Amino acid sequence: MTNLLEVRNLSKQFKSSGGPFRKPRAMYAVNDVSFDLAKGRVIGVVGESGCGKSTLARLILRLIEPSTGSLRFDGDDLRAKSPAAMRRLRADMQMVFQDPYSAIDPRYTITRALIEPFVVQGRYTIGTADQEVSELLTLVGLSPGLASSFPHQISGGQKQRVGIARALALRPRLLVLDEPTASLDVSVQAQIISLLEKLRDDLGLTYLFISHDLSLVRYFCDEILVMYLGRVVEVLPETDATVRHPYTATLMDSTFAPDPRQRRIIAPLEGEVPSPFDQPPGCAFADRCPRATAICRSETPVLSTAFGHAVACHNPL
Amino acid sequence: MLEVRDLEVAFGQIAPLCGVSFALEKGETLGIVGESGSGKSLTAMSVMGLLPLSGGRITAGSIIFDGQELTKLPEAAYRKLRGGRLGLITQNPMTSLDPLQKIGPQVDAVARLHLGITGQQARARTIEILGTLRIPEPALICDRYPHQMSGGMKQRIVIAGALAANPDLLVADEPTTALDVTVQAQIIRLLDDLVKERALSLVLITHDMSVVAQTCDKVVVMYAGRAIEQGPVEAIFAEPQHPYTQALIGCIPKGLSEDEHLVGIPGTVPTVMNYPKGCPFHPRCIRAEDICTKTSPSLLPRGDGAVSCHFPGAAP
Amino acid sequence: MTSITDTIARALSGFRSTPMSRAFGSWLGKIAGGFLALLVLTAIFAPWITPFDYAAQDLTNGNAPPGWPHLLGTDQFGRDVLSRVIYGARTSLSVSATAIAISITVGMTLGAAAGYFGGFFERAVMTVVDLTWSFPDILIALIFVAIIGPGLTSTTFAIAIAYLAQFTRLTRAQIVRLKQETFIEVTINLGAKPHHILLKHLLPNAIAPVIVVGMLAIGDGIVLEATLGFFGLGAQPPTPSWGAMMASGTAKLFLSPWVIISPGVVVAVTVIAVNLFGDELIRALDIRDRIRDS
Repeated sequence: MTNLLEVRNLSKQFKSSGGPFRKPRAMYAVNDVSFDLAKGRVIGVVGESGCGKSTLARLILRLIEPSTGSLRFDGDDLRAKSPAAMRRLRADMQMVFQDPYSAIDPRYTITRALIEPFVVQGRYTIGTADQEVSELLTLVGLSPGLASSFPHQISGGQKQRVGIARALALRPRLLVLDEPTASLDVSVQAQIISLLEKLRDDLGLTYLFISHDLSLVRYFCDEILVMYLGRVVEVLPETDATVRHPYTATLMDSTFAPDPRQRRIIAPLEGEVPSPFDQPPGCAFADRCPRATAICRSETPVLSTAFGHAVACHNPL
Repeated sequence: MLEVRDLEVAFGQIAPLCGVSFALEKGETLGIVGESGSGKSLTAMSVMGLLPLSGGRITAGSIIFDGQELTKLPEAAYRKLRGGRLGLITQNPMTSLDPLQKIGPQVDAVARLHLGITGQQARARTIEILGTLRIPEPALICDRYPHQMSGGMKQRIVIAGALAANPDLLVADEPTTALDVTVQAQIIRLLDDLVKERALSLVLITHDMSVVAQTCDKVVVMYAGRAIEQGPVEAIFAEPQHPYTQALIGCIPKGLSEDEHLVGIPGTVPTVMNYPKGCPFHPRCIRAEDICTKTSPSLLPRGDGAVSCHFPGAAP
Repeated sequence: MTSITDTIARALSGFRSTPMSRAFGSWLGKIAGGFLALLVLTAIFAPWITPFDYAAQDLTNGNAPPGWPHLLGTDQFGRDVLSRVIYGARTSLSVSATAIAISITVGMTLGAAAGYFGGFFERAVMTVVDLTWSFPDILIALIFVAIIGPGLTSTTFAIAIAYLAQFTRLTRAQIVRLKQETFIEVTINLGAKPHHILLKHLLPNAIAPVIVVGMLAIGDGIVLEATLGFFGLGAQPPTPSWGAMMASGTAKLFLSPWVIISPGVVVAVTVIAVNLFGDELIRALDIRDRIRDS
């Protein structure tokens, strides 16, 4: 298997400049993240708000410039690309965004939104445009009759399908899915997930799937990265791999089963994700961790495969 | 404790709620579950008497709370009840608190208003309640402002406010939707404990079937302004009778086996402006026949619960 | 997820009709809009509807009170006040509209560039633009009068500069807000060049509030034009201007009040109508928040 995407030591530091009334502050939104994504696979990135999963998606697509680290897409060094070359390459790596409601220009019809990718990439030909649009709409399970609608005339689920169609217009190889179902109703969420599964099989796509929903990620992905405050704390090579990191275990405990016979008696771990600013040394999870020892507060654990798969923990389960 | 019968609500010519009935005993948790636009929040607002705020009114049915008819209650009497014996927990803790006032006074105010106690007594109560909600150092927290607290802490403060006047009934409208998963689990557990310890009745409004499965005794499944199925939680999850309930449970990944496959429900959730004629679910229903497009089924008892469907029954 | 009450509110507000038709929907909008339309038509067709030549003097019939054939009387030179008020509409509207058009064009360009590129460029542009705001309008006009002499050109430039900051700030605020929208990120990720993003997405979405504020500014521009005319810095005789007419009326204020009252009332009513109609447009377009942003 060849790797479509190779991410090495990727970091992004955000700095807020100081002023007369505040100190300058800095935080790592993404801190030293490395992973490989093989062609045709689906990697899930899971974590709570502020863990850096959405920033990671944007760093990979260079919508945000990384501070350090390297990115290779199909063997090409992405960070060495000129702006013009990067613009051309974007056709190969597309993204589906979380909020379908603001993902389409309110002044654009569906047709215009779906033609835009071709216009932007200089591949627009007047004769074939209508056919392309109706093929794309059919591909994502929408009626070609919707083509002349405006975004406010269609439902959230339909908007997200248009978002997927637009992302697929240029026949990309990598699709980054940033919480594509988070703002949709449950019944519609399942539709979109099943559409994405079908498209992966039919078009041979590679997915990076970002979500806060562990059960969804376990259902949809081949491999899972668990993130906490900008770092990958555990890489589950299979969705049913034994959990080693206490944070992943907390996440599992917090995910409710849709079955009244499986009620959880034990209260989950207390505490919340701390502020990413001015992090003390050591493991970011140490304050909430039931297994924390002295070393956890002095030394930041690194990913190590000593326990079967990659875990960043001094006292793994 | 609470009985809602054939509740109908209208905003001008539009009727977003047409026929909701349920009953709730002391110490019970009732889940009202549905997708956006199903009318679940509107049901909560009706119980709290908050409909006039957004220009709605109750056109039919009754809401009986502890033997008292609420639909005809004058606003002044309602005001005494609301925040007193009726507690409300809202969806967004970020906007439910006054950003300019410290936490302590905000919670104190509820007890002072409804229990008529002095400021000192109220503060002592506040500290005690914050403690039972597992908020660390409650006395210090009273002097903080909302912006100094995390989302989960703010939601606990909102819950403290709802509890301050010793309510008998708590209405929680999507109390965890705006929160992270680990925090959601904490808050849900907390609510569950409160119901048990204080023998409260809880109406939990949510879109999440998993939350219902974990906390509720009874469930009302709503769709397009109607209660389409209701009953004890075990029965609803084990043998749902309405095709919508079945499909909704099928939409959640369970992670049980490799070949599990999510399908979703075809079509889109109807909005208030275009509720379908006949059974509101018929355009998306696999069992729909001619009669479903014409007449709306009524909610009839079946097994331990009740279902509103022309062709009810377990999934084939 | 939107709540039911939102959906109903949106449906009842009837977003299918156009903003213009909704602005005309209320009776206030109808009256204000109707008056403005009438005023514009009067200005355009002035030569055909004025009963007299606006410059024709009749010194034997100076300061005649309103009556027949001079419906609004005559001024000290015996010129017909009604004809001069009608021609004055031409001067006021064209000067104000031209000035605001210049102001919008320059302001939108500067504001869009500042909002889009940000950084040092943004700070430089906004500092210069804010400086123009700190000078009183009259002072700006005096500078132009000193350079190119009194007249309508000076007035036009003075009004254009007086409102430049407003349009620059408004456009910049719109662009900065729109840049956060997901569809902009989508377009960048499709590989779009900056000019595509600016011209196809940002500006078309930013234009509505600018047009409405521009319309309100035309009302203010009319007042400013009248003020400058009143001080003799604007239109020069015999060109009729509402401000200049009022100035000439001050000399015989108690003897022939109609000379000053007629243009005065027209200025007041016009400005009120512009503001009422502008408010109705803001309400109809639902952009109150976006205008307040800046």
